Amino acid sequence: MKVLVPVKRVVDANVKVRVKPDNSGIDLTNVKMSVNPFCEIAIEEAVRLKEAGVATEIIAVTVGASNCAEQLRTCLALGADRAILIETDGDTQPLGVAKLLKAVYDNEQPDIVLFGKQSIDGDNSQTGPMFAALAGLSQGTFASKLSVADGKATVIREVDGGLQTVSLSLPVVVTTDLRLNEPRYASLPNIMKAKKKTMDIITPESLGVDVSPTFEVLSVEPPPGRQAGIKVQSVEELVDKLRNEAKVIP
Amino acid sequence: MIDALNEIFSAARVRTDAESLTAWGRDWTRSVAPAPAAVVFPEQASEVVALVRLANRRGFKLVPSGGRTGLSGGAVASAGEIVVSFDRMNRIVGFNATDRIVRCQAGVVTRVLQEFAADQGLYYPVDFASSGSSQIGGNIATNAGGIRVIRHGLTRDWVVGLTVVTGSGELVECNHGLTKNATGYDFRHLMIGSEGTLGLILEAEMRLAAPPEPQTVMVLGINRFGDILEVLACFQAALSLSAFEFFSELALTKVLEHRQLRRPFARAAPFYALLEFDQGETEQATAAFEACLAQNWVEDGVLSQSESQARDLWQLREGISESIAPFTPYKNDVSVKVSQVPQFLVEVEAVVSSRYPDLEVCWYGHIGDGNLHLNILKPDALDVSTFYERCHRISPQIFEVVERHSGSISAEHGVGLLKRDFLGYSRTRVERRLMRQLKAVFDPNQVLNPGKLLVADSG
Repeated sequence: MKVLVPVKRVVDANVKVRVKPDNSGIDLTNVKMSVNPFCEIAIEEAVRLKEAGVATEIIAVTVGASNCAEQLRTCLALGADRAILIETDGDTQPLGVAKLLKAVYDNEQPDIVLFGKQSIDGDNSQTGPMFAALAGLSQGTFASKLSVADGKATVIREVDGGLQTVSLSLPVVVTTDLRLNEPRYASLPNIMKAKKKTMDIITPESLGVDVSPTFEVLSVEPPPGRQAGIKVQSVEELVDKLRNEAKVIP
Repeated sequence: MIDALNEIFSAARVRTDAESLTAWGRDWTRSVAPAPAAVVFPEQASEVVALVRLANRRGFKLVPSGGRTGLSGGAVASAGEIVVSFDRMNRIVGFNATDRIVRCQAGVVTRVLQEFAADQGLYYPVDFASSGSSQIGGNIATNAGGIRVIRHGLTRDWVVGLTVVTGSGELVECNHGLTKNATGYDFRHLMIGSEGTLGLILEAEMRLAAPPEPQTVMVLGINRFGDILEVLACFQAALSLSAFEFFSELALTKVLEHRQLRRPFARAAPFYALLEFDQGETEQATAAFEACLAQNWVEDGVLSQSESQARDLWQLREGISESIAPFTPYKNDVSVKVSQVPQFLVEVEAVVSSRYPDLEVCWYGHIGDGNLHLNILKPDALDVSTFYERCHRISPQIFEVVERHSGSISAEHGVGLLKRDFLGYSRTRVERRLMRQLKAVFDPNQVLNPGKLLVADSG
């Protein structure tokens, strides 16, 4: 059984991002870049499927500039068997990426496509579902548990107020939520072995996909700073302010 | 005495209740019972000057107190002293982007300074496990070191100016933030590491650096004690390290239990090394790992792939001190030149295994700086004082090894109360006499931090 895992290179989750002075985007100079944490969970889940004898081959794929090879190397070290870099310096947007992945899907014919539920930079949660629609596949999004047997995937989904269990026929799209697993560390012996694994570098053109942007970012603003608090002199003053200024008590 | 204090401080800033006396009367050391007469919380320099002059007139003693994370009893008040807490002098009072100098009051918490630097797009590199509680004043008074000394040096290297009140109550501005200042004795450097025995630090001008490239962390499993230095040499030849820490399997076991962390890799190794370096040097680092693997010095290892993994791996080292605290460990903090470390380790281990065959010994340290933390854990069956007495009797044998290698009996924790009686293993009779003479110049009436660092009149 083949598993395809699309991953994204993003600003590390622990970096305090700064907006560029001209508001055109995020300042990326000297900033740590990592595999999107939800994609890391997807890779880990694929590796566990392989360790359980369910999956036989794991392919990691990403879309972006040549430096995205770093993140694919991480995936290979974690247990992916091979990687595909669809190299482009252009702006990558969810629909374009979903179309590219559809082309890869057609070539590879995987049984499971494991996405992160969203990337922590765009926070769109679009690529997985768009891909599922383009490929005409069932999808189990926000997965906190995944089991695969007898041509079916059972996915426990994290939904508002509880959990929902769905059963889907393969091939299937699954997007991972935070609680699905805890990704392992990349071991150095595996990092060394990963250097010998295959990484194919292709272009959007070679897949015959048009990835021209469908929207334009006009401006990026940091969240407004918090206003300083004040000290009140008495309980009466506090109650007065809560009632008349904040209007949180009757 | 309390009346006199109330003339300087508002009532809320003089505390004499039992809980406060215990809390502010001691640091992380637990072997001496705290018993100060009062705790005061100054808010400005004039109050500290008035307090020191009062102490000189009335003959009482003052113990400066910062974040109270010390491990040598340097901030313990056990004999009716007045504790001077800098908790309320915790403001950053100035920053100049051209000079890259930040002026902070003594009570600024180390992490606050680190975060302030980051907000300016700069970097304060001195860091250690207690940086969330320790204060700059205490960092300076002990010349705190920590985990990035191998690349960025000690607290001393970042202090460019100090405002202090001497033991006779005189306010002195040292060095004024200058880079170059060849005008004789640099009192700033005398104050750094003086453990509050010469003056009380009120404000410090700290230099900030350009931020480093993103860092990557590696944890290695090491087979034999002696190979740790081979691994260090191999990596240092290939790249520039920001940290090289080591710890034993026992230390790892304690921290995994205490913090509910997972092992970095499945197979346990007797020793571990944690390395940190610029992300851009990852290729060189993995090549060095391969070289070490070929020599059979290391058997497994992991490499952080994200900032959160880097932080998780750091916890394995930084959580040790806290995780062994419940075992009231007897702490040794010794150093020798890096070149002496292999032989030194062999000799120390011989002492330890012959003298502590029945006790758990937890090894870790900043091996890249020649600094070794050797913690003897108290067995449940022994009471604290019997245990400490026994360790205290064995210490000289470890210190004799230190002395043979011209090392230090206190690499970064300071001398305080706990190491005072052993100072002779690292400083000669002449040095100790000069230290007492210096003390007499700055603190003629011996009001500051009595009993710490120096024994009053012995040879």
